[in-house]
Amino acid sequence: MKNLIDFFKSFLLLELLKGMSVTGKYFFARHVTVEYPEEKTPQSFRFRGLHAQRRYPNGEERCIGCKLCEAVCPALAIKIEVAERADGTRRTTQYDIDLVKCIFCGFCEESCPVDAIVETRIYEYHGENRGDLYYTKAMLLANGDKHEAQIAADRAADAKYR
Amino acid sequence: MINIEIDGKQIQTENGSTVIEAAHQAGISIPHFCYHKKLSIAANCRMCLVQVEKAPKPLPACATPVTEGMKVFTHSEQAVKAQKGVMEFLLVNHPLDCPICDQGGECMLQDMSVGYGGGQSRYHEEKRVVLAKDIGPLVSAEEMSRCINCTRCVRFGVEIAGQMELGQAFRGEHAEIVSFVSGTVDSELSGNMIDLCPVGALTSKPFRYKARSWELSRRRSVSAHDSLGSGLAVQTKNNRVLRVLPIENEDINECWLSDKDRFAYEGLNTADRLTKPMIKQDGKWQEVEWQVALEYAANGLRHIANGAGAEQIGALATANSTLEELYLLQKLMRGIGSDNVDFRLRQSDFSGDVKQQGAPWLGMSVADISRADRLLVVGSFLRKDHPLLAARIRRAARKGAQINIIHSADDDLLMHVAHKAIVAPDALVEALTQVSKALASEKQGQSASGEAGAIARSLAGGERVAVLLGNFAQQHPQAAQLQALAQQIAALSNGKFGFLGEAANSVGGYLAQAVPGTKGMNAAAMLATPRKAYVLLNVEPELDCADPQQAVAAMQAADLVIALSAYKHHATEYADVLLPIAPYTETSGTFVSTEGRVQSFKGAVKPLGETRPAWKVLRVLGNLLKVDGFGQDTSEAVRDEVLQGVDVSAKLNNAIGGVEAKAAPASSGLQRVADVPIYATDAVVRRSAPLQATADAAIPQVRMHGEELKKLGVQSGEVVKVGQGQGSVQLFAVADDKLPRGVVRVAAGHAATVALGAMFGTITVERA
Ligand code: SF4
Ligand code: SF4
Ligand code: SF4
Ligand code: FES
Repeated sequence: MKNLIDFFKSFLLLELLKGMSVTGKYFFARHVTVEYPEEKTPQSFRFRGLHAQRRYPNGEERCIGCKLCEAVCPALAIKIEVAERADGTRRTTQYDIDLVKCIFCGFCEESCPVDAIVETRIYEYHGENRGDLYYTKAMLLANGDKHEAQIAADRAADAKYR
Repeated sequence: MINIEIDGKQIQTENGSTVIEAAHQAGISIPHFCYHKKLSIAANCRMCLVQVEKAPKPLPACATPVTEGMKVFTHSEQAVKAQKGVMEFLLVNHPLDCPICDQGGECMLQDMSVGYGGGQSRYHEEKRVVLAKDIGPLVSAEEMSRCINCTRCVRFGVEIAGQMELGQAFRGEHAEIVSFVSGTVDSELSGNMIDLCPVGALTSKPFRYKARSWELSRRRSVSAHDSLGSGLAVQTKNNRVLRVLPIENEDINECWLSDKDRFAYEGLNTADRLTKPMIKQDGKWQEVEWQVALEYAANGLRHIANGAGAEQIGALATANSTLEELYLLQKLMRGIGSDNVDFRLRQSDFSGDVKQQGAPWLGMSVADISRADRLLVVGSFLRKDHPLLAARIRRAARKGAQINIIHSADDDLLMHVAHKAIVAPDALVEALTQVSKALASEKQGQSASGEAGAIARSLAGGERVAVLLGNFAQQHPQAAQLQALAQQIAALSNGKFGFLGEAANSVGGYLAQAVPGTKGMNAAAMLATPRKAYVLLNVEPELDCADPQQAVAAMQAADLVIALSAYKHHATEYADVLLPIAPYTETSGTFVSTEGRVQSFKGAVKPLGETRPAWKVLRVLGNLLKVDGFGQDTSEAVRDEVLQGVDVSAKLNNAIGGVEAKAAPASSGLQRVADVPIYATDAVVRRSAPLQATADAAIPQVRMHGEELKKLGVQSGEVVKVGQGQGSVQLFAVADDKLPRGVVRVAAGHAATVALGAMFGTITVERA
């Protein structure tokens, strides 16, 4: 009996039709695929993308070289050297993030007492060589300078949830 | 013994102890700030509040004595509520600037606030601000707003350092820690305040912003700068020593460290570090490969040994070289046939060498000093030469021990001195003889008069008497007589006697046999009758020897000077080969402390540049010169060769016989009294910039009794010309009426006085 049913099922291509009906349903349904790069998904203000170092409005870099981010980074991606500046404050002489190691967890931003290191919405960057993704202090500060408006707006939007 | 219960645990503790002590004994922690086991109880931070059964309010555990049957709850609801309340109050005025605070990561307040603090502050009003203070080159008081007014620093000054340099002024919210009188903290123990301060108010100035505490690796080491053998935690990062902290040991340094031990590391990586071997050719210094330099040195030595004779070669080492280095040095010398090797560079009387059996040592354990009830300290600049031993003696004095002093200078020891006899150097023997005689007559029931009598009575009345000979007594031209007299006095008062060793390996040098045998020449003889060749281990002859004039002359006259040194120093003027060797942080080795404690350590960092540990350099030299027994692979092997199966305590012996004490012929003219300033004792310390910026490292002055100055027609504060032999220097004269008459005190071992001669003897002073 079972053999007979199976025979008719395959003879009438029922399974094929069942599969095709799914295809057909989606063929005519509204598209959900985002056509990147022409199209982009909306981003949260908490998006964790490329890092940046921020400055205060008067141009002073925020980072005070406390090394909390270096200590917290689970991927050991951050390297900091500090020295006392002529005005008696401690500043970084080296602040590198190896984005090849980074897992974009955001702990560095979370630990920073002065909101100096932040993760921006930027995810469109690349490196052609491995070393290109080794971001130095100057590169990070340049990132910050370029996107400060967006960074500040995002932190302001997030502030009420903290 | 008393039975109490803490958190349900039955505890037996001593009568009279406090709740916090009992809890710590039982391994129960009670949060605290102002309490410190070595300091008196202040009970002013209130962090240690605990609940005690039948007490209506929580009580401070640090100030509550235990009573029989007491029931204490350290984590009950009431206790925790009280602790949290105190924490909140403490944080009211604390700046919470942990990210820029050097204490961050090792801060008691940080740790406690994790346990007892709120997540968020309820305080939104203004915080108090305390202005920064400059209290000297070692301790930073930049951020006094962080102070929680626990007064640990103040109590340390009063109780341990013996000097109230910091105090608390004003009241309530205006209370602040200020430095008194001089404005700076000049104590030779000041660095301990950094450790004591539970917050980041007092921090290390040289270490400021150098690293965060969690980045440092910790290596165990032993102090190379005095004879106590303090345990050091050398903290390093990127192969550089960044900080030195004490390792606690109740029998040695307790939990303290002298500033010398703590800040000397700043002298390790100075610009004049020698990092490549150098030889002098045609009057010019050239950097060469190790092989070249070593062969040059070996050939030179072989040449002289074969030509002029091996006895024309002399080896000098400092007493802060390691046991291994000293041992291999003497082995090398003896291997090539010379018996001239010595490490006692500042000693001038060697007549005791044949008359005593063992290595001179402290004669007791360091802990015994704390237990002594009568002490006689002879010829010692105690506070500066032995800062931590002085602190021990100071504490003994506070507990009622009587301290007696016989010396040629009367520096303030910051402790109660029962009796003292301050005499000129040539009267030192006589002064001790008097005491000895007075003691003998005391035994027969007759009381002698004068200071000697008073000292004798003090000693006779003691149960645990200690007689200690300081550096000055060891360097004295009648050192053997002083030793014999000290032995006599100790015997008469049923006490012990010994030497406060001058440097880290003053005992180790003897164990390593780095002293001349019967045929050999001692340090003084080697320089007095110049040799054709010298091997210098860690030595800067003009600063480390008893007579710089003589030392330099001998070096200049020599055909070959091989200097094993960590630094490019004056040796460039007379040496022929400079071999870069590792200072104590870069090599493994062993120091034998003045109490005979053998302590080995490993290198904390890798040797700088092409520097090599001296024991390896000496081993290769031994091989090149084809001396047997230079096959050791490790410094441990060298150490075992010296010490394996040896009972060190059996080798220590101060007993001396066959010495007759006779007063020195009264000297005509003025006599020199020379101390080696605390921060001029060894090559590393001399180069430590922060130490050199302290008051103790000021340019030496010429100190004389006011009347003597008047005789010369010189006012205190004027420049005078002091001369010895051919040399003279110009220094400021200062009247010091505490000095005996006929005495001129000018420091030795300092760059400003190298033109002078021997540390003892006559000296001239005239108007400049
Ligand atoms: S995002 Fe995470 S992994 Fe990347 S640097 Fe920051 S802490 Fe490190
Ligand atoms: S970025 Fe922030 S957390 Fe990292 S060192 Fe600088 S201040 Fe500290
Ligand atoms: S400076 Fe430090 S040790 Fe001194 S009272 Fe303030 S917190 Fe206590
Ligand atoms: S530790 Fe008890 S009051 Fe401070």
